[in-house]
Amino acid sequence: MTKCNKRNSIKTLAAAISAAVALAVTALPATSIADETSCSPFTPLIKGQEDFVYVWTLGVEGLGDGSDKLVTVDVNPKSKNYGKVINSLSVGGRNEAHHIGLSDDRRYVWGGGLDSSHIFIFDVATDPAKPKLVKVIKDFVEKSGGIVGPHTFYAAPGRMIITGLSNNQDHGGVTAHVIYNNKGDYIKTVQVPTGEVGGAMGDGYNYDVAINPRKNAMLSTSFTGWNNYMMDLGKMVKDPEAMKHFGNTSVMWDFKTMKPIKVFSTPGAPLEARWNWGKGDDFAVTTTALTSNIWVFKQDDKKEWQAHNVGTIGNPADIPLPVDISMAADGKAMWINTFMDGTTRFWDFSNPMKPKEVYTKKIGSQVNMVSQSYDGKRVYYTSSLLGNWDKKGKDDEQFLKMYNWDGKDLKLGFEIDFYKEKLGRAHHMKFQARNMNTLRPLHAEADRLDSVRLASTETPAK
Amino acid sequence: MLKRTGWTACVWLAPKRLPSNLMVLPRNGLLKALHLPFWGGVFFLLLQSFGIHWAHAASPDNSLKAIETADTVVPDYVPPRPGSYELMRIMTAADGEVLDVDGKPRHLSEFTGGKVTLLSFIYSTCADPNGCPYAYQVFHNLKNRLAKEPRLHGKVRLVSLSFDPKRDTPEMLRLYAGDNALPNQPVQWDFLTTASYKELMPILDSFGQDVFIELDPVTQQPLGTLNHVLKVFLIDRERVVREIYTTVYLQPDVTYNDILTLLIEQGIELP
Repeated sequence: MTKCNKRNSIKTLAAAISAAVALAVTALPATSIADETSCSPFTPLIKGQEDFVYVWTLGVEGLGDGSDKLVTVDVNPKSKNYGKVINSLSVGGRNEAHHIGLSDDRRYVWGGGLDSSHIFIFDVATDPAKPKLVKVIKDFVEKSGGIVGPHTFYAAPGRMIITGLSNNQDHGGVTAHVIYNNKGDYIKTVQVPTGEVGGAMGDGYNYDVAINPRKNAMLSTSFTGWNNYMMDLGKMVKDPEAMKHFGNTSVMWDFKTMKPIKVFSTPGAPLEARWNWGKGDDFAVTTTALTSNIWVFKQDDKKEWQAHNVGTIGNPADIPLPVDISMAADGKAMWINTFMDGTTRFWDFSNPMKPKEVYTKKIGSQVNMVSQSYDGKRVYYTSSLLGNWDKKGKDDEQFLKMYNWDGKDLKLGFEIDFYKEKLGRAHHMKFQARNMNTLRPLHAEADRLDSVRLASTETPAK
Repeated sequence: MLKRTGWTACVWLAPKRLPSNLMVLPRNGLLKALHLPFWGGVFFLLLQSFGIHWAHAASPDNSLKAIETADTVVPDYVPPRPGSYELMRIMTAADGEVLDVDGKPRHLSEFTGGKVTLLSFIYSTCADPNGCPYAYQVFHNLKNRLAKEPRLHGKVRLVSLSFDPKRDTPEMLRLYAGDNALPNQPVQWDFLTTASYKELMPILDSFGQDVFIELDPVTQQPLGTLNHVLKVFLIDRERVVREIYTTVYLQPDVTYNDILTLLIEQGIELP
C-alpha cells in the first residue's frame, strides 16, 4: 500500500508559487539528473579521479554563437588546464538542451533537446578531451509514434532508454519510454500507464528512469508536458489550469519485460530516480518538486514494492523546489538541491526510512544539478533549470562550480562563469576518463561484487 | 605517454579503431584486474611470455572452481515466465569472415541463422572470473539444461567467438573446446576464431564489443591480457539480436527463459 503524505497539496503550493512570483521572486520547479552514482549500472564507471566534465549547455540568443553546445571542462587537478573550459562543441541552433546520458560502453554521450525533440550523439571516446558530434536524430517524434521531449538517456545493454516528457497531440504530459539501439536506430515505444496498475491509477506522465538489475526493477517518475516546460514560468504559475498538469505518480516496472508492476501516488512532480548501490538494501528514492517530499521505494516482506514518504525538504511553504539529487555510492547519504534558494543539502541516509538533513550550503542564486564523484569527495554544481524557468536579471547566474567535500564542509575548488565565457546556461553534467581502460563496472552491488558472480544452478527455470 | 618505465601500455580495440589508440595502465592495476597477487601475476606473465597458455594451466572447467568457491549471489527476482513477454528486436547480427576449429573459412552468418543462437566473445587465456570463464560456465549450464529436453534438440546453438586471433588459432580453440565442439550433439556449440584483426574488427564494431590489449611498454608486444566488458548476444533464427547480457545481467535462468521465449515465438511447442 502506498503511504502518502498529503500535508502539502499541489493546490496550496500553486497558490504559494503564485504569491512568490507576485513578490518578484522569480523561478520554480525543475528537472535534472546527473553524476557518477546515477549512471546506469550497465555503464562502466570512473571510480577514481575523473578527467573531464561535459556540460550540456543551453544556447542564449546574443551570447557567443547563441547555440546549444557540449562544453568540456578539464577537472583533473594534475592538469595544467585544471578548472578550465578546453572545448566547446556547438550543435547549431537552440533546442532546449537538457539532459545527457552515457552509452553502455561509455563511448558515446547522447543529448536531447526538449523543444526540438532532436537527439545529438557525441563520440567521447576517440578523444575524450574533444568530443565529436557523430549523429543527429531528427525524426524522434515520427519514429516514436508522437512522443515529444526526449529527457533521460539511460543505458541498457546495446540500447538507450529515452524518457519522453510529452506528446505531439496535445503537448501535455501523457507520454512514453522510447528505446533506441546503440547505432541510433529506433526499436520500440512503451507507453507509461494511464490505467490502474497495482491499486493506483497511472497518469501517463514521465520524467526519469533508473534500473536495478538484481531486482529486475525499473523506477520511473513524472514531470510535465511541453505546454508547461516551454512556457514562461511567471505566466505558468499564474495559470491554474496549467498548474493542474504535473505528474503525480511513480511507476515500478519489470525491466525485463518493460511492463508496469505498480503505480504509486507520489503527488507533486517526482523527479530524479535513483537506486541505492550500497550493500544489502535495494531501495530507490525520488523527491517531489512541488511538494518537497522524499519518497523511498522498498519491497516489503512479501516482495511487493511499497512507496514511503520519509521526509520533507526545507519548508514547503517557502517553495524550496527540490531539483537534482545525488546519492552516495554506498547509499548512506544524498545531496539534494533546492533551486529557489540556491542551496545544496546533505542528507544522512544511513536509515533510509528516517533520513536527516545534516548540512546545507548556498551555492548560488539558483542551483539545479549536482554530480558527485564515485568516492563522494568532489561535488559539481550547475545552475540552469529550463530556458524559460531560470531566474531573471542578476539572479540568473550560470555556472559550473566544483567543491571538495571532506565529510563536514564543502570547499570551493573552482568555478566557471558560463555567461562570462559566452557559453550559455549550464545544465546537465557527465564525467569522462582520459583512459577508458581505467573504467570499472558497477556490478549489481557495487564493490562487493569484485569476486561475486551470479549463481549458475541446474534448477529448472520458473 | 607510453615510454614510462614500469607502466603497461594498452591498445584499445574499439570499433573502427585499429591498434593505434594507445593508453597507459599502471602495472599494479593490471595485476589487480587479474585478481592475482604480484608474484602470481609475474608468474602468469612469464607463462604468457613463454607461450604457456593459461587455458593449458587452467582449463575453463578448472577455472570454474575458483568461481564456485567465491561468494555467489542469486538474482533476487523470479524470471518472467517464457512466452509471457516479447524480446526487443535490437539490431541485425553482423556477418563476417571466421575460421572454425578445422581452420576452414566460414561466414559468421552460418552460425547465427536458422536456430536460436547464444553468441559470446571470448579468449581462451582469459583469467578474469567475471569474464570469459563465467560466460563459459553459463553456456555449459544452458547446454546441459537444453540437452535434457529432446524437443529442443537441434533448435538452439551456442557460439564462442575469440577476439584473440593471434593466440586463439583453430588448433588452440579445439583444445579449449574439448568435447563441447564434437559434432552431432543435442546442443551445437561452435568455437570460432578469425584469421587476423582485419577480419575481427568489423565484427566487433558491429556488435559493439570493446577490447583493450595490454602492451609491454618496452617491446610494445601484447602481454596477453584482453580487457573487455563481457557481452553475450541472444540472436533469433532471423539473425536479429533480441537480448544482450552484460556482466550484471547474464543469469542462466533468465537466459534459458529468453531462449524458450524465442522458441515459443517460432511456434515450437515446449515440453
